[in-house]
Order: sequence, then C-alpha cells, then structure tokens
Amino acid sequence: MQRSRDLSGALAGVSDYVKTGFVDAHAPDAVRKLADLFDPAELELLILFVSPSVDIAKVAAEAQIAFAPVRVIGSSTAGELSSKGYTEDEIVAIGLPRAFFRTNTLLIPDLDEYDQQALIGELIRGRHEITHQTPEWPSECAMLLVDGLTMHEDELTSHLSLGVGPVPLFGGSAGDGDRFEETFVLDNGQAYRNAAIVVQIRTRCEIEVFNSDHLRPTEHRMVVTGADPAHRIVHEINAEPAAKEYARLLGKDPEQLSAFTFAAHPVVVRIGGQHHVRSIQRVEENGDMVFFSAIDEGVVLTLAESTDMVSHLEGQLSKLTERGRPDTIIAFDCIFRRMEATQLQLEGKLSDILARYNVVGLSTYGEQINSRHVNQTLTGVAIYPPKEG
Amino acid sequence: MLNGLINPSDSIERQNEKLKKIVATLMKRVEQDTDSSGVAYAQFQRAVLLEDEVRARTRDLGRALDLLNDSNAKLAVANQETEAARADLANAIEAVQEGFALFNADEKMVMCNSRFGMHMRDIQPDLKPGLTFGDYVRKVSRSRFLSLPRGETAEQWENRRLDRHKDTSVIFNVRLSGRRWIQVSEHRTPSGGTVILQTDVTDIVRLERQERERLIDDQARLIRATLEHLKQGVCIFDSSQQLVGWNHRVSELLSVGVNRIQLGIKFSTIVNFFRTTHTFSGGVTPKSIIEWAEGNGDRLPLSFEMQRGLDSTLAVFMQEMPDRGFVISFTDITAERAAIRAMAEAKETLEQRVLERTLELEDALAEAERANASKSRFVAAASHDLLQPLSAAKLYVASLENDITASEPHALLTKAASALQSVENILGALLDISKLDSGLAHTHISTVDLGAMLNQLCDELTPVAAAKGLDFRSVPTRVSVSSDATYLRRVLQNLLSNAVRYTSSGKVLIGVRHLKNKVRVEVWDTGPGIPEEEQNRIFGEFQRINATASAADGMGLGLAIVERACALLHHPLELTSHVGKGTLFTVELPLARPQPNQHHQAVIRQNTPPGDVSNMVVLLLENDAELRNALAITMESWSVDVLTCTSCDEAIALLKEIDITPDAIVADFHLNNGEDGLTAIRRLRSICGKVPSCIISANRSADLRVACQAAQQPLLYKPIDPSSLRGFLQKTATSDGATWSMIG
Repeated sequence: MQRSRDLSGALAGVSDYVKTGFVDAHAPDAVRKLADLFDPAELELLILFVSPSVDIAKVAAEAQIAFAPVRVIGSSTAGELSSKGYTEDEIVAIGLPRAFFRTNTLLIPDLDEYDQQALIGELIRGRHEITHQTPEWPSECAMLLVDGLTMHEDELTSHLSLGVGPVPLFGGSAGDGDRFEETFVLDNGQAYRNAAIVVQIRTRCEIEVFNSDHLRPTEHRMVVTGADPAHRIVHEINAEPAAKEYARLLGKDPEQLSAFTFAAHPVVVRIGGQHHVRSIQRVEENGDMVFFSAIDEGVVLTLAESTDMVSHLEGQLSKLTERGRPDTIIAFDCIFRRMEATQLQLEGKLSDILARYNVVGLSTYGEQINSRHVNQTLTGVAIYPPKEG
Repeated sequence: MLNGLINPSDSIERQNEKLKKIVATLMKRVEQDTDSSGVAYAQFQRAVLLEDEVRARTRDLGRALDLLNDSNAKLAVANQETEAARADLANAIEAVQEGFALFNADEKMVMCNSRFGMHMRDIQPDLKPGLTFGDYVRKVSRSRFLSLPRGETAEQWENRRLDRHKDTSVIFNVRLSGRRWIQVSEHRTPSGGTVILQTDVTDIVRLERQERERLIDDQARLIRATLEHLKQGVCIFDSSQQLVGWNHRVSELLSVGVNRIQLGIKFSTIVNFFRTTHTFSGGVTPKSIIEWAEGNGDRLPLSFEMQRGLDSTLAVFMQEMPDRGFVISFTDITAERAAIRAMAEAKETLEQRVLERTLELEDALAEAERANASKSRFVAAASHDLLQPLSAAKLYVASLENDITASEPHALLTKAASALQSVENILGALLDISKLDSGLAHTHISTVDLGAMLNQLCDELTPVAAAKGLDFRSVPTRVSVSSDATYLRRVLQNLLSNAVRYTSSGKVLIGVRHLKNKVRVEVWDTGPGIPEEEQNRIFGEFQRINATASAADGMGLGLAIVERACALLHHPLELTSHVGKGTLFTVELPLARPQPNQHHQAVIRQNTPPGDVSNMVVLLLENDAELRNALAITMESWSVDVLTCTSCDEAIALLKEIDITPDAIVADFHLNNGEDGLTAIRRLRSICGKVPSCIISANRSADLRVACQAAQQPLLYKPIDPSSLRGFLQKTATSDGATWSMIG
C-alpha cells in the first residue's frame, strides 16, 4: 500500500475502481492540485466533501472549472474521513469512473418548496435511463446529500423512497464543523443551502449499503410532554423542563450538559422491537432541547448507552469484508460518534481502522438509510471489485 | 420501566400533576391527535413501520412502470413501422408504371395511384378513396374515352364488367378512343379486397399484331418452300373443300395443266380431272372420295392408289386437318410397283429353273444309282461266276501237281497255282468291296477278343517280316472290343500286311492304346511314308503308291476295303505319315465293357485251365544279359509274354509306351547303379497297381531275407530253379495275389 504525495500535498487514494484524492483545504490552488490527480475524461461523477473552514462557494466554482466537463457535487462537512481516518481542514474527492459507474444526479434546490410528484417522476425516469444504458450491470443504489440544518430529512427521505424504487438509499446531512450555523450542498459550481442532491448510481461493481450504531437502550424512559415538532424542539419531558429532566435522569447538573454529553448519552425511540437514535443537538438557554431528528409530544424516549466503539467499528467493517475486500467504503459518520471518540480518546484507534479499510467520507449531522432519517450511526456503501466475467 | 419517570424529591401533588400531564400527552399521542406540526415525526414513524411494505410496493410499481414503458416503446415503434410501411406502400404503388387501385372487402376504394384511370381524364378526378366499385365501373362505362364494342351500350358494358368482377382473377383488354388499349387485371386479395392494375398495352398490342403478321408471312413462305421441296404432290383444302394450297408437283403427277389448278377450286372439280383417266384401287371410287371430302365428322385418314394406264401409279393419302379442312398427298410409286413386278417375275422364273434342275439331278442320281447297282451286281455276279471256274482250275492244277513230278513243270505248276491263288484273293477283295459299296454288307457286332486276334495276325505275318529282316513287334493286349469280328480282322490284316509289305527295313509295331471307353489300335512302320497329297488317294481301288511293287504284293485293294469297312463299323480311321520316316494308321474301337484288372484276370482264368501260365505278361527286370535271355526263353517256352528290361527306369518307360499292366514282375535284387529290386518293385507298383512280384537273387544273406519278408516279397535264389519260377507264376495266375509266402 504505497501512497505518493506530490509536492503540493495532494494525495491520491489507492483504490482501483473508485478514484479518491485528498488535499489540504487551505493549500493554495487546492482544487486544481486535486484535479491533477484525476483524469476528468474517464469520470462519470466527482464528489467533494469540503471542510467548512474554507469558502465552499469558491471551492464549488473552482472545481466546476478544474474538473470540467465532469459534474461535480458535494457537501460541507463536520470533519472529513480521508486516507488518514478522521481528519479536518481537508477536501476529500471521490471520482466514479465511467467504466464502472453510471449516475443520474438530481438537485432539489429548495427543500421548503418542491413538487413531490415531479420529484418522484424524475427519479423513476432517471433510474430507467441509466438502467437502459447498462442493463447487464449488477448493482445500483442511491446517495443523498442534504443540508444538515433544514430539519426536512424525514419528509424528504419519505418522498424519495417512492421515487428511487427498490434501491437501497444511503445519505448524509451536510455539516458545519461543530458550529451548527450553515451547511451547504454543492452542484454544478454552486453551493446551495436548504437543498439536497440525489445521485442514482448504477455500477459494474458489487456493492453493499450498510447502517450501524454502537448504542444499547437502557431501562430509563421518559415521555415528551411538550414539544415543537416542526423545529425538533422539546420543551418538556415528564412535565418538567426538558434539559432539567434529561440531566436529572443522567444524574448530572443541567448546567453542565454539553455536546459531548449528548454524544455519550443519546435517546432512542423504540418501534417494533428496534431502536432509533434521536440525537440531541443542543440545549437552549431556556432549557429546551433541540433534536437532530423528528420529535413529537407523547413520544417515549429511552436513554441509551454506548458500547465499545473500537470493537463495534472493527466488527462492522470486517463484516463488510466477508464477501471480499472492498475497493472503497464511502461512509457518512455521525458527528456525535466522532465527539464521543474524542472524549474517550479513541480517535486514533478508530482512524487507524478507518484507514485500514480504505474508508472515505465525512462526519455528518445526520444519516439517511432507505426511507429513514437517523442519527448517531455509521452509514454508507462498500464498493467491491466487479465479479469476474 | 418506570424508573426515573417520577422524581422522588417532588411532592405527591407535584408528582400527581406531572403524571397526569404525562398520561394526557400519551393518550393524545395514542389517539394520533397531533397537529400538523407533528407530520415529520409521523412520517418518521410511518417510514419505520411501513418501510418494507413501501419498498415492496415501490418495486412492483417500478416493474409495472417498466412494463408500461416497454409497451409504450413498442407501441411507438409499431406506430412508426406502420407509418413507414404505409408510406413505403404508397411510394411503391406510385412508382409502378401501371395504374393501381385497391378496393376493400366492402367494395370501397382504399387507395389508388395517380396513374389509375389515366386515360379517362373526364372521370379521373372522381377516382378517390371511398369510391365504391360499382360507381367506378359506372363512371368508366360512361366515360367518353371508352370505345364501346360495336353494338354494345354503356349499360351492357357495365353489366358485363360487373359480371367479370365476380371472378377471383380477371384479365381483359379495353379499347379506348384514339386506338389505345388498356389491359385491366383484377385480382382478389386474401382479405376479400380487390386489386386493379391498368396497363397501357397500346404499343404491345400493335407490336404483337405486327409480329404475328410477320410470323404468319414467314410461316407461309416456309410452308410454300417446304411444299415445293417435296417429291410428293400436295393439295390442301379448307373446310369447304376449296383448294387453299398446293405445289407444282401436283399438276405434274396428275398430268393436269398448271393453270387448271387455281386457288379456291372445289375438290370435286379436281376429282373430275382424273375421274376418267385413272383407275382406282383400295376399294375407293371417285364418288366415295368426294363423299369423304364432304363429310364433316371426324374423318379417318384415307389411303388408296390410282393408276393411269400401265406406266403410272400414284399412292394417295388424305388426312383431316385441325380446321376441318384436309390435305392430300400424291406419291409416284410407279418405279416401286415396276420393281415389285419385276421381282415377282424373277422369282417365278427362278423357281421354275430350280425345279427343272432338281428333276435333272434326280434323273442323274437315279442313273448313277442304277449304274452303281449294275456295277455292283455285275462285280458280284462276275466274281461269283469267276470263282467257280477258278476253283475248278485250282483243283486241276492241284491234281496235276500230284501227277507231275518233273521239277521244271512242277515249278511252273506251283507258279500257276500261286497265280490262281492271287486271282482268287483279288476276286475276294473285289467281292468284298462290291458288297460294302452296295450296302448289302451285314455286320454282326459282338465282343471281340482283340488280343487273340492280334496274336493270330502277328503269327501269320511274323515269317514274312522275318524274311524281310524287319523288327516286327506286337505289344500284347487282353482288351475286348465291340465290333464285327470278320471285318475287324480284315481291317487289321490289311493294315499289318501293308505295313510289312511297304516297309523295306526297320520295324513294324502294333499296339493298343487305352482311351476313355475305347481303345486305339496303332500300326507303326518305318516305311517310305505317304506324301500328304497322296493321303486321300490311297484309299481308292487299285491305288498303290509304290508302283514298282510286284503284282504278288497285292492289287491295291487293301486300303479301299479298310476305309469302307471302318466307315461301315463307325470305327474312326486316321492316317499320320511323314515321308522318309514312316506311317501310322490308327483305328479306334469301342471297348466291349469296362475292364477292371481283377475282372479281366478272372476272364482269363475262365478261359485257361488251372496252373496254365500261357498268355501271362511278365515283366522281367534283370541286368545280366545272359540270365535275362535264359529266363525269357524259359518263360516264353511256357507261352508267357515276357517284357525284358535292365533297369527300373527302362521298365517304367516301356510300360508307359505300351500302356499295359503286366500280370507279374520278376526282379533281380542287385541291379545296376545301386538300384535294388525291392525299390524297383515299389516304384512299378506305384504306377501299375499291386501287381504280384518276386525277387531273384544269389544273395543268401539273412538281411535280404528279412527285407523281403518285411516287404512281403517272395525270394527265389539263383541259380533259378525253373519249376520254382513256374510255381510262382502259377500261383499268381490262380490267386488274387493278396498274400504271399516264401517260396523255395
């Protein structure tokens, strides 16, 4: 496994089918140097995960020129997953070569106002089109990049599921570091807010879409007794101010609640024997709690506790290796997992594992799997070499 | 489960209040009574609950959409193809040179090209899709461009046209004004529609007509030339018996002036030309000929001959032609008739001559037979009449011989007697020949002992041969043949005496060669031979080759008798002779019956007393000349035929030459060149069968005795005791020779 770093600091990945490249986001001419690692003529699509520490709109515009005529999409991140594992202030580029991939990319520029039926129709037609281009190729999936602060993910995935068909969908919500101020998706040289990009992918490679978390529900439950569902705000839990009650159940001082607390102690809802994480974004001054996913009054929340992150990650990735070594794994990893790892000082170990399995991607504000919007998971797709013949 | 739900530090009232709120919230949630702001969570909940179902539905929907898309695509393709096909069809029918129209099963026009109805400009604008077939025909029939057949109205034409429309396939020509012709072909399509093609055939019709006329002219010329070429006269009449064709030969053959035969004259007129000049054969009369010509049924060909005077005959052949006319051919067969007549006459003359000649020959034959018979009778009578005085003369001479003793007269008398004897012999021979010639000779076929006959003849001739110094040898035989004893003896006597007579030196050999079912008696001599050109002549009467031979030697009648006798007895007689070397006469005689050796011996024994060894044939194998001669003489004194040989090879050669099987073998043990008698006997037996044999030897060793015992050979010690040898031979003659014991 040899890597060559050119003088400027841009680095090419080692995968054979999916092309990857990484560059310091603050390096001069970072985008052009990144572009030097790729042959645009052979690419079907280029995906950029850009650190929010740089001007995303500028990166989008430069990339559009540097990678022309390839369509360039992407999003802002809450940290990147590069060849080194967890990293920051980088630009991660993932190129899908035409020889192995066909894509249909759809931009939804305004998540507050779009025609649901038109979206479904476009998705169906788009899938039909790439299917007819390559009827023999064995695999397909759909990838969603969505603004991480719009709170429309549940609605959107619900609508998308009608359009993408019986195809696994995975996605991530764009991040903004740990600032939670503004997140972007990129398409065709522009950065969009309150927007989403759906990519329907058809490939000659074998793939596996995965979604996993390392949490285990406890016996502690609480009932949301007051909430503002539209803004994912919970005012009251158990008829007490939300943060105060959450802190009481944890045995903590409400004044000391932080992102690291939320990362370590998420709540889950249990539906039909399964649990689904509802990550807490922050606590307002008035004691309201803001969630990363849909919430409503009368919902029963269960406190969850973490299991060992290292063995979970190792286990998850080795499971993906059962059918053969993946060429590349594109991962959407929840920001809270990273926060927890940082708090537990496991970042290095996890990075090693991620690098070893050739995982690239970003830290997200939420993940999407099929028609669900979820939090605090590792979600993505493993891409394997094509089967012989 | 409710751990922590209640804060224990709260007052009971507060706890109660909080629980009430929790319960209320939960109840509201259970009743789904959320305001619209809770849609997001509801969607999440639904997504979780219904995800699988939604995905399955979505998959089905996708599949259905795929099918729909496929169908749409196929429909689009099909529509495109249909449009393309329609356009192609339209282009195609527009491209054809003919006018084209298609009517559907409801008789409505579906399409037509711009050439359809092109020659009827007045109605062409109306020829559009939707027009019914009936309207189309009506419009055509009323068109001013249609040239109606004479006497036909437009309505009649229309009805006729519609009648034809009922047929599946119709082709007809329509005449238009301005001498144009259109060929209309109408075909029914499988779906019941009608296709109409209009072809402008004006040029074709015109060309066809010209071509047809040209062809007719050509054919007429050809026929004319052909007719003139024929040697026959030919007349062709049409169905009204008017002359339509003929050649000049007709007037020649009928001797009618050329100008009298004209186109269109009636057949009966032509008949009148020769009604009086010709006579008819073949059962016809001028009247019946005219009736045949006027008949209008299926007339069979009519064939007859007619003559004019004697010098002209015509064969006439009349045959119907397909158009009910008929053709007549006249062939001059005068020459043929004359030839036939001449041949018939020649045949009659020839038959007469053959008959005459036959009668002449019969006369000549009768004359010859008469002459022959009279000659034979004369010879017989003369011979007989001569023999009487001759006998008397002989008696007188005999008596004189007794009376006269003086040597000189006696010698004369002896000569006289001899001369008389010769005369008697000649007369006897002549008598024989005449008998044979006259066919009066009778034969008596019986079993003849050829061996005895030959022995006797040899005995008679041996002194003569000895007197001439000839080596006269006869190979003994015991064969019996089927023949007439008298004539056979005469034949053999003549052959032998001729051989002895004409051979001045050398030898004469007579022997018998065995063939299948017959034997061949061979008489060899070393005489002068007979030239080939003489070989036929010698069998004639009074023919002698050597003219210097004395009269006493014979009158040359011998071979004449031989040939006639052999012919009478059917014994093939052959002569082989080489001048200067000698002559061989052979006579083939049929065997009396099959003669195996044993049987043969039994016959011998019947004829000879027991112990008699006479006529035995003994092969003596002895290398010592003195002893050989002594033994031969001894055995010959017992009338035994001895074949003497010095070696085994010589014996084998001799046996092969004379082809007989000896009755016994007597062999010396010690022969020349290391040969021994036992080996010799074994070899000889391998050739002639198990012949009785004995060994003679001076060797008294035990070895030889043992060897002879082992080979079952009697052993006689030298010096030979004659009685012992005779005893051996006697035993041989009386026993079958199967077993032998030691003798002496």
